[in-house]
Amino acid sequence: MSGGVTLKILVCIDDTDNMESPGTGHLASSLAEAVERFGWGQSLPVTRHQLFVHPDIPYTSHNSAMCFGAEIDEKRLDSLIAHASDYLTLESAPGSDPGLCVACFDRITEPEKLIRFGQRAKSEILAKEEAYELAHFQGIHLSEHGGTGQGVIGALAGAGLRLSGNDGRLKGKLKIRCENNTATVGEILAQTVVDTVMSLGGAVLREDEPIYVADWVKAVLKDGKYILPVYFSDGKYSQGINWSTCTKQQLRDY
Amino acid sequence: MLINERGEREFSGTKDDWDAAARLAANCRDFKEDVEEEMIADEFRSCFNCRFRRWTETSFVCRAGF
Repeated sequence: MSGGVTLKILVCIDDTDNMESPGTGHLASSLAEAVERFGWGQSLPVTRHQLFVHPDIPYTSHNSAMCFGAEIDEKRLDSLIAHASDYLTLESAPGSDPGLCVACFDRITEPEKLIRFGQRAKSEILAKEEAYELAHFQGIHLSEHGGTGQGVIGALAGAGLRLSGNDGRLKGKLKIRCENNTATVGEILAQTVVDTVMSLGGAVLREDEPIYVADWVKAVLKDGKYILPVYFSDGKYSQGINWSTCTKQQLRDY
Repeated sequence: MLINERGEREFSGTKDDWDAAARLAANCRDFKEDVEEEMIADEFRSCFNCRFRRWTETSFVCRAGF
């Protein structure tokens, strides 16, 4: 970055795919990579946020929004929005209804309203008009880039859920170097973005605790931190190793 | 699979019927691996990991062939 004012932002997109195209997560990752490639700032991991599944909501398949955080040079904000807008217009799949949300932490006047919108989008049918009105009054960029533009609802909701710090799982599998599928909590923390290794019951594990690391390792967002959930496997996979990383099915509801 | 009121092929089980979803996918020639972030079943070949599923409130609709 050029040394100017740094902005903390959230970028969220929704409804960019169809049954044949790359997923919305792929596009979100590409945008996050572009932020760093163009020297605009640094990106944080992409998170997936599940929204309401209902017959009256025209989602493609999963109705999930994809969001990432970033710290960027304030002077680059307009460039980022322009790039993301063009990218969604060009890369979103035929028949999709893409929406883009870019929210600057310092400019959101009432973050609790954005969070509440996101939480409601998990159990209610919301309208585009409400999304645009909320974005306007909270100083948030919200735009549509094809089709009906219904994706603006999910894009805004996803930003709210990410801001809540208590929703979603990280896109991608964590890469952890270890021997015999075993690593201590401390080793996991040192190698990944994970802030805390925590049992499904909420207990924080000590740094010297050994963990059985399965092939598929996924972090979730909880209390504003990247959490690696583990469960008590009681030596099932390796003698003396009492904790194991969670399975896909265990993390379905994050 | 059932044919629902919209004429779609809908899984007759629930979102917790992991075994049935895996058995169906095992015999399905249209199975297509979904993107990583949307896969939820531990059994790789499962309707719950298939790109052609579309979630409903209680189950999913199979969109293969559409």
